[in-house]
Amino acid sequence: MKFAIALFSPPHAPSSRRALRFAQAVLAGGHEIVRLFFYQDGVHSASSNVVCAQDEVDLPREWREFVQTQQLDSVVCIAAALRRGVLNDGEAQRYSRTAANLDAPWELSGLGQLHEAAQLADRLVCFGGP
Amino acid sequence: MSKSLLIISRQAPWSGPGAREALDIALAGGAFDLPIGMLFLDDGVFQLSGAQQPASLQQKDLGANLQALPMFGVEALYVAQRSLEERGLQDHPETLAVERLDDAGLSALIDRYDQVITL
Amino acid sequence: MATLHVLSHSPFTDSRLSSCLRLLGSQDALLVCGDAVYALQAGSAQLQALELMPEAIALYALDEDVQARGLELPARLTLVDYPAFVALSCQYSKVNTWL
Repeated sequence: MKFAIALFSPPHAPSSRRALRFAQAVLAGGHEIVRLFFYQDGVHSASSNVVCAQDEVDLPREWREFVQTQQLDSVVCIAAALRRGVLNDGEAQRYSRTAANLDAPWELSGLGQLHEAAQLADRLVCFGGP
Repeated sequence: MSKSLLIISRQAPWSGPGAREALDIALAGGAFDLPIGMLFLDDGVFQLSGAQQPASLQQKDLGANLQALPMFGVEALYVAQRSLEERGLQDHPETLAVERLDDAGLSALIDRYDQVITL
Repeated sequence: MATLHVLSHSPFTDSRLSSCLRLLGSQDALLVCGDAVYALQAGSAQLQALELMPEAIALYALDEDVQARGLELPARLTLVDYPAFVALSCQYSKVNTWL
């Protein structure tokens, strides 16, 4: 089956880790992920600036490595990201901000990408909250 | 044929970006001519009250954006009767043309859609 | 078209569980994870509400969350791991997470 997975929570929320473990199980089960879409506070799960204690799970790094290793289409909603201060180089320059905190493999795009993923997928599974 | 998507909006209007971001999903879907429905449930029903003055909180008028739903082709709009009653709103007309549904109606509504996002 | 509903908020501080139970379809299923597994707490009204659900409504709990909280699994619920969670999402027509 084809899955679209949408994440609505930041990396310190248990649901962000749960979404990653679910996504890993999707692929391990022989299914396909058509897109990951990060919305609302989920944009923080793509931040390159989160610093984790050495004895804690580094979830942004785990998400990044998962996306890169599996070569997944991974989109962060631009409107949600901007209002939460998650910017790539282009947006940081556009809005004259001092720093960018969103790197590859994440792409900034609009809600159309969420809708397209939902249309392409057999299942849309969302994660958020605790 | 396009898959249909029901958005269940449960957040009160001025408690953060939740209500606005739920609406944005609906409007984006409508802009792409997708079959979108929207249900206002729990505190989401407060989004439909009249006489709101968001300028007092320096907020943009969510109500104006809600009015845009039919213009974007999103006309399948619903509100949970029980949620209205719990909040004493059952005798207040909504600011949007919505169909009131009881619990059985809500269950049937969710069943009709291919996908659902509850936020 | 049966739906798998997913909850992760504590039912003691939040209305998602009670709202969800009211609009479950007769063939729907419920998976509790995160703090929603506190609904398994023995002696609670929330567990009672789950146990009153018709048998046709399948109830699941995510294993890691039950274990982390030291909860006992009531007979009415089935423990699932992530592969089983994925299988459930395929088995049911759609997944409705109460974000």
